[in-house]
Amino acid sequence: MADDTEVLVLGGGSTGCGIARDLAMRGLEVTLVERENLTDGTTGRMHGLLHSGGRYAVSDQASATECIEENEILREIAGHCVELTGGLFVQRPEDSDKYFREKLEGCRECDIPARVLSGREARAVEPYLANDVKRAIEVPDGAVDPFRLCVANALDAEQHGARVETHAEVIDLLRDGDDIYGVEVRHESGPGKRTHEAAGTTEEITAEYVVNATGAWAGQIGEMANLDIEVRPSKGVMTIMNVRQVDTVINRCKPKGDADIIVPHETTAILGTTDEEVADPDDYPEERWEVDQMIDTLSELVPILEEARTIRSFWGVRPLYEPPGTGTQDPTDITRDFFLLDHDDRDGVSGMSSIVGGKFTTYRAMAEEISDHVCEKLGVSASCATADEPLPGSENIETLEAGMDDFGLRSPVARRSKQRLGSRASDVLGTDDANPVICQCEGVTRAEVQDAISQSGSDLNAVRIRTRASMGNCQGGFCCANMANELHPEYDEPTVRAALDELFQERWKGERHALWGEQLSQAMLNYALHATTMNRDRDPANAAESESLDYAAFDGGRPAPERRADGRGDP
Amino acid sequence: MSDAEQPTDDHVPGAEDDEFEPVQVFPEAESMDLRPGADNCYKCSTCDTNCPVAEVDDEFPGPKFQGPEQWRLKRQGDHDIDDSVMKCSNCMRCDSACPSEVPLSQMHNTARGEYVEENMDKFSREYIRNRILANYRRLAPLGAAFPRTANFVMGLSVTKWLGEKTLGITSERDLPEFATETFRAWWTKRGGNATSKKRAREARAKRGDAKVENPDKRIAYFHGCYSNYNTPEVAKALVRVYEHFGYEIMVPEQSCSGTPMFANGMLDDARRAAETNVRELGAAIEDGADIVASCSSCSMSLRQEYPELFDFENTKNVAENTWDAIEYLRVHEDLEGELEGTSVKGEDFAYHAPCHSRNQGLDGQTIEVVDAIDGIDAHDVGDSCSGISGTYGWKAENYETSMKIGEEMFEHMEDADAETGLTECPTCSMQMGHGTGYEIKHTLEVLEAALVGADRDADRRKRQEAG
Repeated sequence: MADDTEVLVLGGGSTGCGIARDLAMRGLEVTLVERENLTDGTTGRMHGLLHSGGRYAVSDQASATECIEENEILREIAGHCVELTGGLFVQRPEDSDKYFREKLEGCRECDIPARVLSGREARAVEPYLANDVKRAIEVPDGAVDPFRLCVANALDAEQHGARVETHAEVIDLLRDGDDIYGVEVRHESGPGKRTHEAAGTTEEITAEYVVNATGAWAGQIGEMANLDIEVRPSKGVMTIMNVRQVDTVINRCKPKGDADIIVPHETTAILGTTDEEVADPDDYPEERWEVDQMIDTLSELVPILEEARTIRSFWGVRPLYEPPGTGTQDPTDITRDFFLLDHDDRDGVSGMSSIVGGKFTTYRAMAEEISDHVCEKLGVSASCATADEPLPGSENIETLEAGMDDFGLRSPVARRSKQRLGSRASDVLGTDDANPVICQCEGVTRAEVQDAISQSGSDLNAVRIRTRASMGNCQGGFCCANMANELHPEYDEPTVRAALDELFQERWKGERHALWGEQLSQAMLNYALHATTMNRDRDPANAAESESLDYAAFDGGRPAPERRADGRGDP
Repeated sequence: MSDAEQPTDDHVPGAEDDEFEPVQVFPEAESMDLRPGADNCYKCSTCDTNCPVAEVDDEFPGPKFQGPEQWRLKRQGDHDIDDSVMKCSNCMRCDSACPSEVPLSQMHNTARGEYVEENMDKFSREYIRNRILANYRRLAPLGAAFPRTANFVMGLSVTKWLGEKTLGITSERDLPEFATETFRAWWTKRGGNATSKKRAREARAKRGDAKVENPDKRIAYFHGCYSNYNTPEVAKALVRVYEHFGYEIMVPEQSCSGTPMFANGMLDDARRAAETNVRELGAAIEDGADIVASCSSCSMSLRQEYPELFDFENTKNVAENTWDAIEYLRVHEDLEGELEGTSVKGEDFAYHAPCHSRNQGLDGQTIEVVDAIDGIDAHDVGDSCSGISGTYGWKAENYETSMKIGEEMFEHMEDADAETGLTECPTCSMQMGHGTGYEIKHTLEVLEAALVGADRDADRRKRQEAG
C-alpha cells in the first residue's frame, strides 16, 4: 500500500513549520499535524527576540555566529515579521567591567556589529533607561512576531502542496517491528479547517518518514514507541507591558540571570524571563513571585516599569536537551544548541528522527539541516531554497513600505495593518466593502479578521495569532464578541458561541496574572460588560434544553392604563 | 588581535564625565513620548460620550482614539498622526470626563503639534490661516491702532468674502470689533500701578481693613488679548472690583496665553509666548503678587497646559499661583457677603459656563455669585459646549459643526427668561451673540455694577449734595 505522504512532520511550531516549508519547496509531499493551534507550544510563548547573537557571544560563540547569520537572513525573507529595533547590552554601575569587555570582544569575534555607547548616548536612544546606567553595547537585535513567522511558513508550505492539520493530536505512533511508518491522530473536529462543535474523528496517516518536531513534548511522542528522549523542559515567565517603554531591545550585560531582557513587541514590551526545569510541559505552576521578579529586577534598568501597567503574563517551556550522561544541574547551563536524534542510529528503530533543543532565531537553519537529513534518508537530491525565497507577505517588502495607499483607514490603523500583512496588504485590505475596526487596541479591521478566518476556520485563537486582535490592553473585553460576530453567517450560532467562549477563556488565562492597578480596573470593566450588559454568565441561550428559561414565571408587565372616555389620558 | 585592534570601550569619549549631564530633561513638546499615559485608559469611552465634536460629527473618531489609542499604536520612528486630530476643538471636556486620569488633552496637544510639524504643508492655505488665527495677538495691535478703520474694513462683506475665499475663515461670523482704546492704554493713562496702589490703600481705609498698608493684597492681572484689544470694559471691571476689595493691581508685560496656538498645533509659537509669560508672571510672584485672569481659557492654559507641555524655570510656580478672577475673590474675600444687599437694576442673564471653566471646577460660581445680588438672576443654560472653542468655529470647514454643537446652548438661552447672555470666555461670548443676537456680558461686569456701581452712585449723590 502506498503511503499517505512522503514526510509526516509532528508539531506546528517554528521548527515543524520550517521543516514543512523547506521540504515542500524541495518538491516533497509533506503532511504536518499539530495538537492545538500553530505556535501553541513553545513558539507562541517566547519573548519575540530576534537574536543578534550578542546574548551568546561570551558563553557559546558557535550559537552566536549562527544567530547573526540567521538574523540577517530573516530580515530578508521575513521582513513583515521582523522589526529592526536594534538592541543594547546595558551595564549598571554594579555590573562587571570585565564581562562588558568580554561581551564586546565576543561580539567582534562572532562578526556581530557592536558599538559602545556612553550612558548618556544610551539614554538618548532610550530615554526611559535608568539615570545611573553606565554604558551600553549596541547590537543588531530585533523583534520578531513568532506567530506571523510560523503561520507564514505553514502558509507557504501549503502553497507548495503540503497538508497542514491543526487540532490533530497524535494519539499513537504506528510501529511495525523496528520501523515507524506513521501516526494515528485524533481530529478534534474532523480533518480540514477547524469548526467548533463538529464531531471529532481519528485518522491513521502513514508516511515514508516521520519527523518528530514536538520540542518539549518529544519525550511524550517517543514513549508511544518505547523510545527514550531525554528532553528537559524548562519554564520561563514573560510579562507583557501595556505600552512600549522602550523601542530597542534592552539586555542586562551580565553573565546570566533571570529577568534580564525587555523586548519591544508590536504595541507592547515583553519582560523576560526565568529558567526552571519542570517535569511536565503541560502542567507546571505559574506563580505570582515570578511576575514580581520580572518587574522588580527589570525596573533597575528601566525604572518606569515599576509603575507601568502589565496586561498579562505567560509561561513557556524550552525544549532543552542534553545527551544522556552530561548531567548538568542548572538548566541555564544546558546548551541552547539543537540535536537531531536519528532513532535508527540511536535506538535501531527506523523511519523517524526527533529534533530537540534549539532556539527560535535559528529555526530556519535547523529546518534546513533536518530537511537535508530527511532527503538523504529518502534518497532525494534537492537543495534548500528557504534562505533566499521570501515568505508570503515579505515579497518586495521595500516597495510596499514606500506605498502610500491607506485603504481608507486612519493612519495609525493603516500603518499597523500594513506592517502585519506585508505584501499581502493590498489583497487583504483593498476591499470595496465597509471595513470597520474590530479590535481598537491593536487597530485590526474586519478585512484582516475575515482573511484570518478564511485561513483557519472558526478558531478565534487562530485569528488572534494572525491579526493581534484581542491582544491589546482590554485583552478582548471589547472585541472578542465582535470577532465572534465575524464568524456569522458562515458558522451557526452554537459554533460562534463556542468559539467566543474559547477565545475569552484564553485571554483570561494570561490576564489573571496582572490583576492590580489599571489592569484590575480593566478586568472589572470587562466583567461588567460581559456578565451584566451582555448577561453572558446567565444567558438563557446558553442554558441546556432542560433548564431553559421558564418564561411563564414572568408576569405580563404593568397593565395598560385604561383610556378615558374622552380619549385623553396617559399614553 | 594586535594592539591597534584592542577594543576601546574603556575610553568612550564622554563616558567618564557622566556625572554632569546637561541633557534636556523635558524634550521638545512635539517629541514627547506620552505612550505611558495610555496605561491609565481602560477604554470605558466616557470621554467619547462627553466629546461635543463626536456628538455631532460621525466622522470624528473621538478623544479615546485621538489620545490613548493612537499613542499606544505609535512607535518611536512614526511621524504620521491621523489628520482627524485637527477636528478636535480643544474644549478639553475629555480631561474632566475621564475617570482614570488619562492625560487626554496633553496627548491631543502634543499629537496636534506633531501633526502640524510633520504632516502639514507650511505653504498650505490651512497652515497659513491657522497661523494667523493662532497668532491673533500679533495682528490685533494693528487693528487696535486704527480701530475705526479696522472695524469698518472688517465689517465689509467683501472683506468677509475674501477671508473665506482666500483663507478659509467663515464669512458667516462678524469679526470682533476693536475697542477704540486698549485696556493697556487706559491703564497707562490712568497712572498704572502707582494709581492702583493709591486706590487700593484708599479702599482699605474706607473698608476699615486692619492693615491699610498690606503688601499681601496684590495681584498681577493676566488680561489676555481679548480684554485688552476688544473688551477693555471687562478688564476695567476687574480693576475696579479688585480695587474695591483693596487689592493693588499690577499689569505685567504679557504675551498670548497660548490657547489658540495649542489648538492649532503651533507649539513653537506657544512656547515663545509661554516663555515670556512665565518669566514676567514669575517675577510678579516674586514681588508678592498672585496671578489673576479674567478669561477662563487663559487661566486654564497657565494652570494646566503650561506644566504639561513646557518646563521653563517657574512654570510650576506660575501654574500653582494662578487663579480665575471670581474664584480668587471667593476664596480670599467674602464675595457673597459683600454682595449681600447690593442690587442691580436690569434684566436677567442667560449664563453659559465655558468648558475651560468647567475643567477648572468653576462652572457653578457665577450662578452662586449672581444669586447674592438683588434685582437680577442668572439662569444656567446647561452643561453643553458652546461649540466655538476659540479659533475652531472660525474655520470655514468647522463652522457647521460648531453651530451644531452650539444648538443646544442657543435653544436653552432662548428658553431662559433673559435677553442678555453671561459668560467668562471671550469666544463663548462670540458664539452666544452669534447664535442668539443677544448682548453678552462677563461676570466681572455684573460684579462691577453691583459693587462699584453702587459706590459710584453714592459718590455721585454725595457730590450732588455737596454741590
